[in-house]
Amino acid sequence: MNTTEQVGQPGTDRPPPGRPWTVRSHRLPPGSIQRLGLLAIIAVLVFAFGSARSSFYNQQLTVFPLLRDIATFTVVGLSQMAALSVGHMNLAVGRMAAFSAMFMGLAYQDWHLPLYPGLAVGLAAGAAIGSLTGWIISATGVNSFVVTLAMDFALLGLVSLVYSQFSTTAAFTTQPAGMDGLRTYSLADLCAGNVCGSPAIPQILLFTGLAMLVVGYLYARTRVGRELLLVGSNIRAARLSGIPDRRRVILAHGLSGTLAGLAGFMLAVTSGSFTAGIGSQFMIPSFLGPILGGTLLTGGVVSVVGTLLGTALVQVIRQGLTTLGVGLESLDVYLGVILLLTLSAGRIGSVVSHRRAVKTR
Amino acid sequence: MKALSSGRSEARTSLLRFFRSTEMTLLVVGAAGFAILVAGSHGSLLHGDAVRGILSYLTVPILIGLAQLVVLAVGQMNLSVGPLGGFLAVLIAALMADHGVPVLLAVVIALTLGTLIGAANGLLVVTTRINGFIVTLATMTILGGLQYRVVGTRTIDPGSGILKTFGTMSLLNVPVIFLIALAAAGLLAFFLRRVVTGRRLLASGGNPLAARLSGISNDRAIVVAHALSGLIIGVAAVLTVASAPGVNKSIGGDWLLPSFAAPIIGGAALTGGSVSVLGAVLAAFVIRLVDVARAQYSLDPSWVNFTVGAVVLGTVVITRIRETRQAKATRRRVDLGRTGITGDSSTAGSAS
Repeated sequence: MNTTEQVGQPGTDRPPPGRPWTVRSHRLPPGSIQRLGLLAIIAVLVFAFGSARSSFYNQQLTVFPLLRDIATFTVVGLSQMAALSVGHMNLAVGRMAAFSAMFMGLAYQDWHLPLYPGLAVGLAAGAAIGSLTGWIISATGVNSFVVTLAMDFALLGLVSLVYSQFSTTAAFTTQPAGMDGLRTYSLADLCAGNVCGSPAIPQILLFTGLAMLVVGYLYARTRVGRELLLVGSNIRAARLSGIPDRRRVILAHGLSGTLAGLAGFMLAVTSGSFTAGIGSQFMIPSFLGPILGGTLLTGGVVSVVGTLLGTALVQVIRQGLTTLGVGLESLDVYLGVILLLTLSAGRIGSVVSHRRAVKTR
Repeated sequence: MKALSSGRSEARTSLLRFFRSTEMTLLVVGAAGFAILVAGSHGSLLHGDAVRGILSYLTVPILIGLAQLVVLAVGQMNLSVGPLGGFLAVLIAALMADHGVPVLLAVVIALTLGTLIGAANGLLVVTTRINGFIVTLATMTILGGLQYRVVGTRTIDPGSGILKTFGTMSLLNVPVIFLIALAAAGLLAFFLRRVVTGRRLLASGGNPLAARLSGISNDRAIVVAHALSGLIIGVAAVLTVASAPGVNKSIGGDWLLPSFAAPIIGGAALTGGSVSVLGAVLAAFVIRLVDVARAQYSLDPSWVNFTVGAVVLGTVVITRIRETRQAKATRRRVDLGRTGITGDSSTAGSAS
């Protein structure tokens, strides 16, 4: 499944600083080398961590939680990717997740809704707050960074105010039927005849798969998705070709808010309660997944599979270092250094291939 | 645009411009807000202790705003302000408390290290050509880890020394640490307005291509801006240790959003080339007033974040409305002047 799309040339009227023009290869879809590289790095790391500590392959204690984290943070990455696709950022991704999760908590505790209607309420709330953000950005023309930063502030305040109003313990702990199951169920609980799935794969990964399919289909196969990418790569060309760029920006942010809401739900399922702290750790991973996977900060190029692989790389490193017994105090240091190295390596690779392409031309 | 404007322009037009500027709006909002708060507190806000408290808690917001402002000037961002400040603060405290390093040496180490780490950020951006946002995101992770490694879960109190006395000292009821923040702001404004290197930063941020064609090294501008940002964060870290009762791993954790809020409310453009030091200082003051109001009416601390976010969103929308109205008025005037094609000036500096 390849969902990388690239529409149009980068705008010649504002050359992206420091980025050599895109090298067009006719043999392979752009970015597939990068994704194969990521897959190779992940495989090598998994093998290395597994050889060092055999407990890294433990299905219940390591693989299951690892895949659960990858599932959640891939959706977080997809949420950021939706904003990046139009060349914007969503710094409020964590707080939008908290905002959605707040509505889900309210729906379960005070309105006594079952699991999936409550989820729908939360997703609608996420879509609404995302669209509002997109509307402010497109109506004012102000940088998305500023608007989403301010939105982050506002939601940070609002969400904790609501939690302190409606609950005594600053958390909604009512769990509808089936929520606790989602946390622990794996594919082993899902049987077709005699064949059951692996106990190492959490069922919550199905949400991620669904989200990836929907988002991937949107960007790769639909007209709206291509229009989003064109808005991201060259908004002027998009406007001149009659694309309603304002509506597309609102759509991208609405999608970002919805996916953030889904990620909030998945985190709440994992942790067992809805609190104001949901999503406070989302900001950094939300950028790392898509960027490592080949999504451009400048917009116009997205990769759904790349987002999954980028997220998986970060989580494998995190889990592997923990298994190796690296303490919490050193974990972030190593993680940061490895990320810088990975990013630099990718950059060097693209510079080298660019030089080679220039020579052969 | 404010910092780039020639200081020799006519005094009257510049005065007129000032009255319409963001700084003026902030000044009026700040003064009105303070007056309302004073009236609401029946004047107790004017007492020495209250004024000292407001000003000394204003020190760090001003400095982190300036640290962000200087990188915004070249069109970069520095996400690592918080963890860098936190790391340097716990480092100073640990050096003094655990290793008996003299105060002056610890301060010098912190300032040097801050500058070096900032320069390293800049060098990484320049050499790898990765977006500064991503680079500082990675260094933010690293520095946060280093801070935790130095301090762990304890709270270090560097004890009563020169630094502590310095932190509580005040001159005519104005805390000395606040004066240092103001001095830093003044120096930075002078640097960006009058010093060649500073003007080069703005030129590089405003239009990198034009800057390069006029012989300015964009790479050097980026490194200098990040190094300066690190230095200012070093100052903020020193003053935090001087004024806080103790430092722990939470120092710097909540610096990121305020560091952007102050310069952006103050009128800086995220694309670079246009910053206002005065605006950032005034914006930090206005944000501080929200906090004072919260304390005065004993509201939930969450109100502060909510209000600041809502105010920024409101400012963004209002500024935009005013700009479109002005642009419409200008266009009408231009159309009256010469009926014909209105040239698209935005393409003037572009490459083909």
